[in-house]
Amino acid sequence: MDEPLLKVENVAISLRHDGRSMVAGVSFAVNEREVFGIVGESGSGKTLLTRTLFGLHDDAFLSRGSVTFAGETVPLSGYAAAMRKRLGHAIGFVLQDPFSSLNPTMRVGKQITEAIYLAKGWPMGAERTKEAAMALMSEVGIPEPKLAFDQFPDQFSGGMRQRIVFAIALSQEPKLLVADEPTTALDAITQRRVIDLILDRSRRHKLAVILISHNLELLRQSVDRIAVLYGGQLLNIVTAGEIGTRTIHPYAEALFACIPARDKRLADVRAIPGEPVAAGAARIGCAFASRCSFAEAVCREAPLPVNPGAAATFSACLLGRGVH
Amino acid sequence: MASPEPLVDLAGISKSFARRFLVQNRTFRLRDIDISIGRGEVVGLLGESGSGKSTVANIITRLTGFDGGRYHYRGRDVSTLTRKESFAFKSDVQIVFQDPYGSLNPRATVRSSVMESLLLHKPGLSRRERITRANRLLEEVGLNPERGDHYPHEFSGGQRQRIAIARALAVEPELLVCDEPLSSLDVSIQAQILELFVRMIRERHLTIVFISHDVNVVRLICDRVYIMNDGRIVENGPAQDVLSNPQNEYTARLLEAVY
Repeated sequence: MDEPLLKVENVAISLRHDGRSMVAGVSFAVNEREVFGIVGESGSGKTLLTRTLFGLHDDAFLSRGSVTFAGETVPLSGYAAAMRKRLGHAIGFVLQDPFSSLNPTMRVGKQITEAIYLAKGWPMGAERTKEAAMALMSEVGIPEPKLAFDQFPDQFSGGMRQRIVFAIALSQEPKLLVADEPTTALDAITQRRVIDLILDRSRRHKLAVILISHNLELLRQSVDRIAVLYGGQLLNIVTAGEIGTRTIHPYAEALFACIPARDKRLADVRAIPGEPVAAGAARIGCAFASRCSFAEAVCREAPLPVNPGAAATFSACLLGRGVH
Repeated sequence: MASPEPLVDLAGISKSFARRFLVQNRTFRLRDIDISIGRGEVVGLLGESGSGKSTVANIITRLTGFDGGRYHYRGRDVSTLTRKESFAFKSDVQIVFQDPYGSLNPRATVRSSVMESLLLHKPGLSRRERITRANRLLEEVGLNPERGDHYPHEFSGGQRQRIAIARALAVEPELLVCDEPLSSLDVSIQAQILELFVRMIRERHLTIVFISHDVNVVRLICDRVYIMNDGRIVENGPAQDVLSNPQNEYTARLLEAVY
């Protein structure tokens, strides 16, 4: 197997103002062309992890570990700045809220051409840049790009705005697209279209994608592998096909049992007792131990295993559940 | 299951109002809403945001009026209710909102929130009886009554939704209208509250209007479903039939998009 596009090894993330460790022991690798999912409930640390990994978090920093992107190891000192240089070039980032990621006072065409200028430089010329922008707009499924080019963001629906954000992210021809809950603000029908758009683009342009979501069922149907975060810990990395068919980490299993997926009966939907724990609480052992039906003394006492060498699949279960 | 006379009977309801859409106002029209709900039924109102389903909920609970059509509750035209009857209607019809934080008074302990609705609607009870009942209700929805002295902000979203449900149940309503009661909750908590609803339906024989954009939840708990799109009801029928074999083009599209 070739070197992965992104390799994250034993990474820990701490808050700047008090040094508190929020996320620890996270290792995973994303291969070229792969669609990789990260799932977690609110407070699991999924947004903190990805934002800090890609240099977008001002209040948190990488306190330990190593990150390699496209064969280059990004040094921990000056990490955020080094990562931000790759953002908008090799890495595209799409945020949850399409309302706040566009400039409301600038015509959308201008916002896309600006991104193209930044990626490819001025020598392209105004005409060709405009053509490239309109080609991108039709590629992401914006009807009548000629008309849309001169409109402002508020004249588009949420789904269309998210497509514009995609057009901007894709204008850089990134190797990796990171999408943090890109469809949470959207309706079901629009959500499906936007996800399909990402998957289609990934397939045709050999684009690797990290898709972050709270919806395990959406990820199961869309991505190749899924990393499961809980309380700031990486508990499981599974292939989508393993979910529901093989023994996986107890939390991942319980999370899947919660979802009223389309083919489930009421008796098959089982809640997890208790409340999710938030990242950042000082803890020894497994964050899920307090709600886990399998938990034993060791789960609260032993240090959690770290995914060695960022292996393709991994279970952090101290009882060995889901370890293959 | 449905008694011959429906509990809720909306016929040809229409309403138009200006809704702020980004920077400009647009007229939103609710048209030809016919909904009939029998006693003890669990009825889903399914649609995407902006389809008008919350407006229908507000009409059923009389939180808002309507322009045309008629609304009969227990066979009575609600526009002809006397003051006293209107008050009885309010304790008969309770609502649970999406955001449990917004629906609880932040300056009242959760027990006193539950007791307040008992005071209003069950004036015969002594203070001691109200405390006992409030504690029993908190327990019924899965909360430790000892935490009744705490304030809403000390509870998680799921717990707050339990409190809102306890408060609605306090007055022993006939009809419970739930407007997206799961949408602001985490996945694992959604399943907990869903279990609570299922238990409530079984034990209390409530009539429930369940408003949701989540096809799968509606499929699991509702007897019948109305599908709304752009201010109209596009399809209705038994939930199992409609959601497995949709006749309307919009319903089919919606179902196809569901994960």
